[in-house]
Amino acid sequence: MKKILKTIALSTLSLYITTMLQADEFTQKDLDLWMAEYKSVVKEGRKVFTNPKLGTNTVTCNECHPNASNTHPETYPKFQKQLGKVATMAEMINWCIANPLEGKKMALDDPRMTALIAYITQERKGIKLDPGKH
Amino acid sequence: MKRREFLKKTSILTAGTILPMSLIEVAFANEADGSKSGENFTFAVISDAHLQQIKGTKFVRNWDMGLKKAVAECNLMNPKPDFILFGGDLGQLGKAAEIDHGAEILSALNSPVKMMLGEHDYYLDLGEHWMNRFGDPYYSFDHKGVHIVVLNSILVDEKWTNKWKDPMERMQTMAGLDDPNGSPFMVGLQQRQWLKKDLENISKDTPIIVFSHSPLQKLYKGWNFWTDDAELVQDILKPFKKVNVIYAHVHQIQYNKIGNIAFNSVMSTAWPWPYPETYSQGTHYMPKMTIKMNRADPFFERDATGWQMIDVHSGRVDFNFQLPNNKNRTVAYNEKTEQPEDMEFQKEQIPPQTHY
Amino acid sequence: MRLLKKTMLLIASTLFVHAQPLGLPPVPIPTDNPQTDNKIKLGDMLFHDARFSADGKVSCATCHAKEKAFTDHLPVSKGFSDKKGTRMGTRNAPTVINAAYYTSQFWDGRVPSLEEQSKFPPINPVEGGLHSWDHLVDMLKKDDFYKKEISKVFNIKPSEITIEHFAKAIASFERTIISGNSKFDRYMYGGEKDALNAQEKRGLAVFLGQGRCVSCHTISQTHALFTDNQMHNLGVGFKALGGKSSEVAKEYIVMLAKQKEKLKDKTGNKVDNHAADELVLAEKRFSELGRLAITHEADDMGAFKTVTLRNIAKTGPYMHDGSLSTLEEVVEWYNLGGKLNSNDPDTPFLDGGIRPLNLSGEQMVDLVAFMKALTSPEFENVKETK
Repeated sequence: MKKILKTIALSTLSLYITTMLQADEFTQKDLDLWMAEYKSVVKEGRKVFTNPKLGTNTVTCNECHPNASNTHPETYPKFQKQLGKVATMAEMINWCIANPLEGKKMALDDPRMTALIAYITQERKGIKLDPGKH
Repeated sequence: MKRREFLKKTSILTAGTILPMSLIEVAFANEADGSKSGENFTFAVISDAHLQQIKGTKFVRNWDMGLKKAVAECNLMNPKPDFILFGGDLGQLGKAAEIDHGAEILSALNSPVKMMLGEHDYYLDLGEHWMNRFGDPYYSFDHKGVHIVVLNSILVDEKWTNKWKDPMERMQTMAGLDDPNGSPFMVGLQQRQWLKKDLENISKDTPIIVFSHSPLQKLYKGWNFWTDDAELVQDILKPFKKVNVIYAHVHQIQYNKIGNIAFNSVMSTAWPWPYPETYSQGTHYMPKMTIKMNRADPFFERDATGWQMIDVHSGRVDFNFQLPNNKNRTVAYNEKTEQPEDMEFQKEQIPPQTHY
Repeated sequence: MRLLKKTMLLIASTLFVHAQPLGLPPVPIPTDNPQTDNKIKLGDMLFHDARFSADGKVSCATCHAKEKAFTDHLPVSKGFSDKKGTRMGTRNAPTVINAAYYTSQFWDGRVPSLEEQSKFPPINPVEGGLHSWDHLVDMLKKDDFYKKEISKVFNIKPSEITIEHFAKAIASFERTIISGNSKFDRYMYGGEKDALNAQEKRGLAVFLGQGRCVSCHTISQTHALFTDNQMHNLGVGFKALGGKSSEVAKEYIVMLAKQKEKLKDKTGNKVDNHAADELVLAEKRFSELGRLAITHEADDMGAFKTVTLRNIAKTGPYMHDGSLSTLEEVVEWYNLGGKLNSNDPDTPFLDGGIRPLNLSGEQMVDLVAFMKALTSPEFENVKETK
């Protein structure tokens, strides 16, 4: 009887310990996987960024923003004159789609929007955050 | 200090105006014996129209308005420019419809027009339609004592040009400024040999203006602000005392001086490009300039675009940039420092915008 | 006790006069012309005094009447009358309300301040028609009341009175003609969620979005000036140049030089402004040159100042030539990208911010409703023109 109880106690304990380890440790495999997931969305973002069908006039984002230059993701949120208020980059991306590209705005959590933001931010990697800056 | 480190340390200054049209006045100083080696004259440069066909007779309105505005403003100039050079990239994808549309808009100009090719005019059909309409892709002529050369400097390695099965795919790849599958521009052996011969009988004192679409310098390879045989071309031009290279393609104000050669870029009528330094992941060799053009407000479709009036004096050029929505600016050749300088900024102290 | 009461009343009235209304920032006051109660009262009198005109019947208030929201509800303004008839100008009278927030005055921004602006209409041949500033100053010096009052307000001797004192007093008065606190302001900055109704809220969304209005008619996070203080070509008046913009511009430059020569003894170092002031109001084709008449820059062809939209429902007709009578026409003009007829050609000088908007009929109606919500309570009762 005592032996059975001991076994149950020990296995419960080991199970408990194993669960604890899984909760707060990222394995290298996870990190690699998640980075790959992110990079795939960056790649998707580049596709959207260069897609002449994003707007209605065949103009693409990279025509004015080669390598996403001059988009300044590190400065958002900031006062955006074209919107008349302090805005996020996603809102400004929508403004660009509606105006120079004469297209239709997306939902702010549209997967294409996420992809665009991923690509734009990736091209700006390493630059210090400076919200509000013009 | 290695050259690369030196360039990294110097700040980039840019002349401020954005004129899709450049009016350049070429003036001549008197010779020592009191005679004039040539006359002062002005000409204009309108460039990089990038007319983009959407469907049928529908074109991207934004770029159309840019070219039309430059033409209308140029026609306001009094006195008229002697001639107007179109700096290349008339169409966005070099389609016949785009080139014809551009020719129609340019036909409203009140002065004679000289044409130059850009890569957007060339890589769809290797310039066939363009050459049928406008003639030779490279040539030279003399005007009031100045020898003027127009180059086709957007050629690339022949293997790259010939490897494509679909011409539109080739054009689309070349059209993407940041497309990694492009190829660096060059003038090429044939034109370099032609240039050498063309300049053989020109005296070393004759001022020379070279129009080129690519910069004839190596500025930033990632965006093809680059001419692969730049040094070889510069070598051919070196013996001449006063050479002015006027180039397009970059859609922004740049200027530089290498030896006797002054370099000035012209604005686009369509849209501006950011300076290479704003791409944080790339390395570039931009020249030192006093005032950069401002950053555009994308709401105002003509902001950071323009044209230029060019004064030729003493065999050197002064650029007068006509910038919509901005203070007009002048990049003039300073005889004392022998450098091109932004004069308006120096005078009025307009604080430049930072590009980052 | 009485002194204390008096002082408090004075402070209270000063506060009432100087505190900015909801939705506006503090009024800019130049350091060389501080506000005082006496100066404001003096300016008010001069503003309404019709004696400073050739027929004794035209004052500032003639074209900027309080009961008409400080305009005259005419397409273009009328000047003095004599046996040759009533003089007519080429431009629409802008409202004085909130003009203190502009960084330049007149439709083409030819003068930098309210002070400078007030000097020109009295001597313009199609407005006040007085011979010169000297003539005006003479009238001031010969009037017992003005002689005493101006001397007191500016702490000078009567012999030292100049046109500057006239200008400063009027400008001081105009700096009190400010108004905010509209339904829009209460909604946007006053936290009153129901100050705008559903349609007006939809109109605001159009204003900020598809209408593309906000970039020039600015709204900011904490206040709204509704003007970017820049000059833009909207295509208005383009037809009047008849395709001869180049010829008209050249003709103007020549005429301007001649006019400057003619006027050089009248206004001293202000002769540039004076010559332009006369020419653009005398000839419609010169008026249509817009800002180019002042700067001579090609890009300023046909460009005019962005006006504030506050009280816009009460200050028609619209545009620099008064050619658009209703807000509906204005919205239609912008919707087609600078014309009322979609078959009309575009002017090549059109501002880069103007383009077809593709608004629906409902959006346009909503937008007009929103613009009507920009009226301040004190002007609610002004009758709109039809």
